[in-house]
Amino acid sequence: MFATKANTTEVGPIRQIGGKWLMLSLGIMGSMLTLMSAAIAEDDGNDVTNYTVKDGKVDQATYDGYEAYTRVCQACHGPDGLGSSFAPSLMEISETRTLGEFVATVANGQEIQPGKVMPSFADDQYVMNNVNNIYRYMKARAAGDVGRGRPDVIGDGDDKEASDSDSDQAE
Amino acid sequence: MLREFSYAIAAIGLAVSAQAHANENLLELQENPEYWATQLGNYQGNRYSELDQINRDNVDELRAQWQFSTGVLRGHEGGPLYVGDGKLYIHTPFPNKVFALDLEDEGRVVWTHEPNQDSRVIPVMCCDTVNRGLAYADGRLFIGQADNTLVALDSESGEVLWEAENGDHTKGETNTMSPLVVGDKVIMGISGGEFGVRGHMTAYNVETGEQEWRAYSNGPDEDVKIDPEETLMLGEPIGEEDLGETTWPDDEWKRGGGAPWGWVTYDPELDLIYYGTGNPGTWNPDQRAIDGEPADNKWAITVFARDPDTGEAKWVYQKVPFDEWDYDGVNENQLIDVEIDGEQRKGLAIIDRTGFGFLLDRENGELLVAEKFAPETNWASHYDMETGRPVVNEEYSTFRQGVDVNTTDICPTAMGAKNMQPSAYSPETGLLYAGINRICMNYEPYETEYTAGQPYVGATLTMMPAPQEDEENGMEGRMGSFIAWDPVKGEKAWEIDERFAVWSGALATAGDLAFYGTLEGYLKAVDIETGEELWRFKTPSGIIGNVNTFQYEGKQYIAVLSGVGGWAGIGLAAGLEDPEEGLGAVGAFAALDDYTKLGGVLTVFALPDA
Ligand code: HEC
Repeated sequence: MFATKANTTEVGPIRQIGGKWLMLSLGIMGSMLTLMSAAIAEDDGNDVTNYTVKDGKVDQATYDGYEAYTRVCQACHGPDGLGSSFAPSLMEISETRTLGEFVATVANGQEIQPGKVMPSFADDQYVMNNVNNIYRYMKARAAGDVGRGRPDVIGDGDDKEASDSDSDQAE
Repeated sequence: MLREFSYAIAAIGLAVSAQAHANENLLELQENPEYWATQLGNYQGNRYSELDQINRDNVDELRAQWQFSTGVLRGHEGGPLYVGDGKLYIHTPFPNKVFALDLEDEGRVVWTHEPNQDSRVIPVMCCDTVNRGLAYADGRLFIGQADNTLVALDSESGEVLWEAENGDHTKGETNTMSPLVVGDKVIMGISGGEFGVRGHMTAYNVETGEQEWRAYSNGPDEDVKIDPEETLMLGEPIGEEDLGETTWPDDEWKRGGGAPWGWVTYDPELDLIYYGTGNPGTWNPDQRAIDGEPADNKWAITVFARDPDTGEAKWVYQKVPFDEWDYDGVNENQLIDVEIDGEQRKGLAIIDRTGFGFLLDRENGELLVAEKFAPETNWASHYDMETGRPVVNEEYSTFRQGVDVNTTDICPTAMGAKNMQPSAYSPETGLLYAGINRICMNYEPYETEYTAGQPYVGATLTMMPAPQEDEENGMEGRMGSFIAWDPVKGEKAWEIDERFAVWSGALATAGDLAFYGTLEGYLKAVDIETGEELWRFKTPSGIIGNVNTFQYEGKQYIAVLSGVGGWAGIGLAAGLEDPEEGLGAVGAFAALDDYTKLGGVLTVFALPDA
């Protein structure tokens, strides 16, 4: 059902609230944007979507994704990535969109159907720093490896950082 | 502009002779039970109709006569107006279309008004692109567009008569509320409590759209239009100056919220308007404390009684000083005349967001009753009737529990035990009728920074159904109820459990009926005395609009906008989490998305052979 929208070159008028991405969106159409943001995503290597779940607990980056999602995106996209009457489920989106497409949409915003506005977060440092983590958390949710609600962090919170390479690597 | 007249205000059964400021035309229309001329049915906000053609004995015959699709998908709040000219006037969420529909011809479109608004306003609306409807007086319709343009339309042609700028969406200000016409003024608030706006209520000239006064919800007395020697609080002059400034740390009042986005009611006799203000800026209470201690953050979550001509505050009552839960105080102030301890009082009743039912004296703001209508309410044990302050439960104090601490199982949720859905009041039963929410929350405050036009929230929130107080009889996993509330006794007369929060405005009629809509899309009629369900109809989408009634050519109609959305649609579409199930519990509680989908439709009902 999302197949046609996956082609980002068809992304319609991209609205901006302002900031440094403005020039991009004014001058360059969707396809180039995708290239650029894919390049950004590559900086993080392939690890971005390699979340870890161990005994129902998650790695720090996935937790950060949960937190950023709940602080910023939940207000429109519904609890735990499930979607709402206002905006689509990002769990589903994470399965049909590449990280690059995902990042591009978050940075640039999107308005395909009239009145359905995804804002631009290009100027929001916190969101842009966490967009990979949000994607990662959504991947984990979509695969059914992370349930609803607030996940616990592997190492119970005191040894958060070093958990990434632990076992149980999921896709 | 002193006009002399005297009218019987039929809906409250009293002959009122008012010198002056009510809008004559509007009062006249309100008096006629055949019309539904304001969103709340009358100035007092009673949502009561004297029509009784549709009644307890024949309501099972009620049939849909015609339907009209608005072509807009978002949450449809508010309801249709009928002012006796053969046309039904309806509105939509963003882009805020207005339609005049011909009642003679089953809703043929007489005219359409479709403004061209900047869609960048949409992301600065916290909870869907709702709009609570039109106001009418003297051949003019008024609508507050999402982008803060207040528009006057000619009701005959739909032509724009004037436009006024009420706010700035680049600062996070938007509009969702329905204006109210009082005398020669259109009174209008603002939305944007989640964006750190500074709330204000403004009066515009009915003829020209010129601004006449603006009263802020916070800041120095001059801006709030308070005179500390004159303005009353709990029946006494406030005394202290500039509390709207000194009860905040630093300059926090400048982004102090208090957005009045709910309903305005009016007492033509006392010549006072009443409304409540929203949450105090950021949801992180720590950023609103002074020297590490709670500060009142005045005048957020406050009932204001103001002179509609000048905006001067006659009295104030702050329902929640130092909010820690986002308990916006915007719910409608029902003006009702009651007998209390053998004495006749001019009352003001609120089924409040906090889970408490309040009764105040509307002449001086004295607090008379504060009792829980939602029994799960636990953030405060009770109200201290001397100080008028809630006695907060430490365990559920998100401030005491601290920043970055997840305070769990607070009831009610930030949506409130009742949100904007307006209640009804029957002077015959003396009861209030309201759809309510039975939802609790976990709340974790975090440090947040203010950027103009960006969300200024500072708390994460998760929600779950309220625990059953009655394991035996309660509906498993229910998230809402429809209640009959005795505002004087401070107790429930009856209650109907509903699967989802009841987010529609109620209607009470002289036909011994109460009506309400559900989020699944049912319109229901119940016996006003017992709550027994007598009739239901499934509209195409969830109902968050208000049920209105009117009579045209001898026939009584019931009309309602359906179209799910609003905060309810965002929060409940996917279903709530079951706190007991822990991780991995999906769909433990009903998901609204399994019952209804988007789409705005007006449905008009009548008896087949009336
Ligand atoms: C103000 C409401 C709002 C907020 C806040 C919001 N979104 Fe959206 N988002 C939307 C809407 C509405 C759409 C659908 C837009 C459309 O269909 O054109 C959308 C679409 C998207 C899409 C594109 C879906 C697709 O079809 O490719 C992604 C990705 C997305 N949002 C991610 C996020 C993330 C991540 C956040 C938090 C950082 C977020 N959104 C916050 C409203 C919002």
